[in-house]
Amino acid sequence: MMDEDFPTDFQVIVVGTGMVESIVAAACSRIGKNVLHMDSSDHYGGLWASYNFEGLQKFIKEVNSDPDRQKQVYNLSEKWFIEKESAQGETTDENKGEPRKVWSQADFAAEYRKFNIDTTPKLLFSRGPLVELLISSNIARYAEFRCVTRVLTWLNDQLMPVPCSRADVFATEAVGIVEKRMLMKMLTSIVGYSEEEMNNEFKDWNNKTLKEYLTHKGLTPNLIHYILYAIAGGNNSLPCLEGVKECKKFLMSLGRYGNTPFLWPMYGSGELPQCFCRLCAVFGGVYCLNRPIDKVETKTVDEGKTVVTIDSKSKKLNCDHLVIGVHECPEELMSSEPAESCDISKAVFVTNGTIMASEKEPLTLLRFPPLADDDNAVTVLEVGPATGSCPKGLFVVYFITKKTKDAESDLKPYAERIFDMSGGDQTAATDKPKCLWSLFYNVKDTSSPVSSVVDNVHVCSGPDAGLDFDRAVEQAEQIFKKICPGEEFLPRAPNPEEIVFEDDVTHGPEFQREQDEEAEPKE
Amino acid sequence: MHGRVKVRTSEEEKARKEKERNEKLKIFKHAMQKIQIKRKECTLDKELLELTGNVLSSNPDIYTLWNIRRDILQLFKKSNDNIEEMSQVYNAELHLTEYCLKINPKSYCAWHQREWVLLTRDDPDWQKELELCNTYLKLDERNFHTWDYRRFVVSQCKPSLKDEFDYTTEKLMDNFSNYSAWHYRSKMLVELYPDRKGGRPIEDSHHKHELKMVQNAAFTDPDDTSAWFYQRWLLGAVKTTIDLVNYTVTPTKNTFAFSKHVDKNYVSAKTKLLINNCVVNGEWVSCTGNCYDVLWIFQHSTPITKKINIKVEYEIDNGQKQIIQGVECKEMFYIGKNQIKFERNYSEAVIEELKDQLESCRQLLNLEPDSKWTMLTTTIFLHCIDAKAYHTEAIQNLQKLKVIDKLRAGYYDDLIAKWCIEKQLCSDYENADLALKFSFPSPVSSLPYLQYYSYCDSVDLSNQQLTSNIFPSLIVLQHCKKLSLENNNLTTMKNFPDLDLVELNLLGNEKLDRNEIELFTKKYNFNIIY
Repeated sequence: MMDEDFPTDFQVIVVGTGMVESIVAAACSRIGKNVLHMDSSDHYGGLWASYNFEGLQKFIKEVNSDPDRQKQVYNLSEKWFIEKESAQGETTDENKGEPRKVWSQADFAAEYRKFNIDTTPKLLFSRGPLVELLISSNIARYAEFRCVTRVLTWLNDQLMPVPCSRADVFATEAVGIVEKRMLMKMLTSIVGYSEEEMNNEFKDWNNKTLKEYLTHKGLTPNLIHYILYAIAGGNNSLPCLEGVKECKKFLMSLGRYGNTPFLWPMYGSGELPQCFCRLCAVFGGVYCLNRPIDKVETKTVDEGKTVVTIDSKSKKLNCDHLVIGVHECPEELMSSEPAESCDISKAVFVTNGTIMASEKEPLTLLRFPPLADDDNAVTVLEVGPATGSCPKGLFVVYFITKKTKDAESDLKPYAERIFDMSGGDQTAATDKPKCLWSLFYNVKDTSSPVSSVVDNVHVCSGPDAGLDFDRAVEQAEQIFKKICPGEEFLPRAPNPEEIVFEDDVTHGPEFQREQDEEAEPKE
Repeated sequence: MHGRVKVRTSEEEKARKEKERNEKLKIFKHAMQKIQIKRKECTLDKELLELTGNVLSSNPDIYTLWNIRRDILQLFKKSNDNIEEMSQVYNAELHLTEYCLKINPKSYCAWHQREWVLLTRDDPDWQKELELCNTYLKLDERNFHTWDYRRFVVSQCKPSLKDEFDYTTEKLMDNFSNYSAWHYRSKMLVELYPDRKGGRPIEDSHHKHELKMVQNAAFTDPDDTSAWFYQRWLLGAVKTTIDLVNYTVTPTKNTFAFSKHVDKNYVSAKTKLLINNCVVNGEWVSCTGNCYDVLWIFQHSTPITKKINIKVEYEIDNGQKQIIQGVECKEMFYIGKNQIKFERNYSEAVIEELKDQLESCRQLLNLEPDSKWTMLTTTIFLHCIDAKAYHTEAIQNLQKLKVIDKLRAGYYDDLIAKWCIEKQLCSDYENADLALKFSFPSPVSSLPYLQYYSYCDSVDLSNQQLTSNIFPSLIVLQHCKKLSLENNNLTTMKNFPDLDLVELNLLGNEKLDRNEIELFTKKYNFNIIY
């Protein structure tokens, strides 16, 4: 709501509310910079957003009808496996006597608000940089998390839990006791790996693969599978040292919060950019959604200082630094097309049960090894009602891999292994959950860093295909250091009880009252 | 500026905290003073209850205050017949302990107060207590206070033992590095699954299951000792008996050696000496003078002559009677030797399981030849499965362990001595020799089972690594005339037992002080070689 008396000069303007943009906005605002944060769409998150079912339908419609507005997304195909209207609502499974809901498309529409479906589902490593940042900046109090309860893999044509913690290795019956010792020994040796130490265990394995190393160490095929595909999340060509680092990251995050190394944000990954926006607003950042930009200009004023001017809805906004998401950025501002990279294939499924029964509602990370030779490994995340992702009785399952052909051809073979995709009677007893709805799409990989032609314009990358947010955090910090050299990156924000309100402060100019009204990024 | 926040600087913060602390101290001192005055005046009232409660809420470990509270509560109970009101008072007390345990979950006095309240009140809710234990153990699964309290609660409310057993499984699956859980499990195990048919402590299938489970833990993390302890307990969970191993009857002294320490009541009830088929009455005296002893001296007035019939009737643990016939080995020197064995009495099924596990250990040992725990477990398995057949391998392993695990070299030495002597005892008990001589591949530094040799008249302990510390144990050599301690590491003659010797050989003990020996020789009238 920018009306006539809205200020036009800011120290930092951030365009786009993706993860990197939001972290930069928060960091700048936190140390006292005057920040305007805007987004061309009516919601937060950009390519990182979470949608309820109606919002998702809008997103799908937009991609199909106005490809220019969502130019990163293509090959999108949505499919229903259930009837438009349900005939009788609930039926009773005679064998078990407990009612199993027969879902219809109308039910999805009626409960649309209970869905929170991610466009960029990601996990946090319990000791990863994002968790540390959320804690050290005190932003964690704006977010809630759930522990991933299990890590599964696909082994010998079936789903298998991966023994990753000490307790898992102890409890598993899938490996013999000598294997247990070998597995624990390998994991311990990986945890002890240090790059600085020249004479480390892995020093001679520079040019070889992790698989070669594990085989050399005499590990059994099962153990190699667990470590290579499930813990490192790699494939047969994963270089040894890279794999060891991946494993170490995984292992170091064990034992902090739950039985696995991962946290999942309640209500979806799209919540996280909003947490940073909230901090930005608390420290005085101004928010404007639905505000596309038309033009970006730079001009040099006196003393050689460059000012960036943005045209937005026939208004000129000036700033010292412009931080802009790659998908909002005019092409002429980017120094070059992003480096050639592999696009991402994604799929989302809504199912009527978990892929593997468990005592309590599970939250699952499943890592598929490549099923065919030229495939990539596939990451699967299954989240249930307890995460606020869907209504009771349903699960939302995300599939992510690097694109080889198109999303549907890349991922459908994997989905068919774990879902019943035949449609039909939802109450029928099957060993696999029924797929009720599916969505396949490809996303351009916009995750490689792009530099701009102007010094004080900073382009933020889009989401990568990786499991975590680490690259986004790293990039945000780099951009912040460029804008505010020598300043602390997101120092701890005080708790309300630590704040002293001083009565004798001079009141700010008129507009800042309005800023208060807009300050909160969410309810 | 409006809306901008100002954060306290650390200096400010420090000063504020310091001030807060001083204020707290003032309040604390004031309250304690008031409590002491009221206590002196014996004003045990609600106000004192409140005062002590306030102090305890932040300092749960002042046991004096808990004592005062108990006094007050007891007084309340005496003067109040209203059950409901008292129930509320007790609830409040439980609430306070709960609050205090949040501050310090290992507060001895808070846990104790809780126990006291539940035992004192008429309407304890044990189920609630069990749930409290669950909650606390969820927060810290290794808090032994909570486990201890759980055992107390369980002893009162007697829930299903199976549930308790399953609870330990659950906790161990979360984290097996938990002595309390293993211990509690061991207690449940023998209660729940005793082997009624075979008379063993644990029924076969469960014994096997536990062995498997603990082996899993041990192989997952060999550096965690809790699992190994439980494994050793499981291996030791066999039927054991107390045996009369030998007796010696001479005109001057009658001795009876037992496999374990026993007291006088046991000895006199179970053991009968018969001379020419007549029961001999007499007095039992332990050879060390202790209440429990392995060697007992029987004093009686029946004369011992040549060619008499001597036998002993001994009642074994299961009530069966055993007759041990005496043999006149030399003139008027009668010895009765029992059959001895040291093998543990496992069932076939458990032996099979141990063999499986031995196989796994051997595989692992190939991969990690220097792994201490694997080597030790392999060795223990070898000994448990067939001590005789695997003797050489087991001893070699222990020698290797002394190098790998230097800190426990002494422990391995003791094991070597024990197993070597066990082996030699088995053959020595089959012949009638009255002389003992150790000839092991390596010298021993301890003398287990020495009472088994109490009948010997000549004991050669030369060329070992014995120190003067073994002197007290020599007291069991009651019939020994000729004792050789040549070439050992003796340092002093202090504590040398009062034995009826003819000759003592002390040659080759370089650290023995000659002056001391000379003083020693003056004290005794036997021949001392040095």
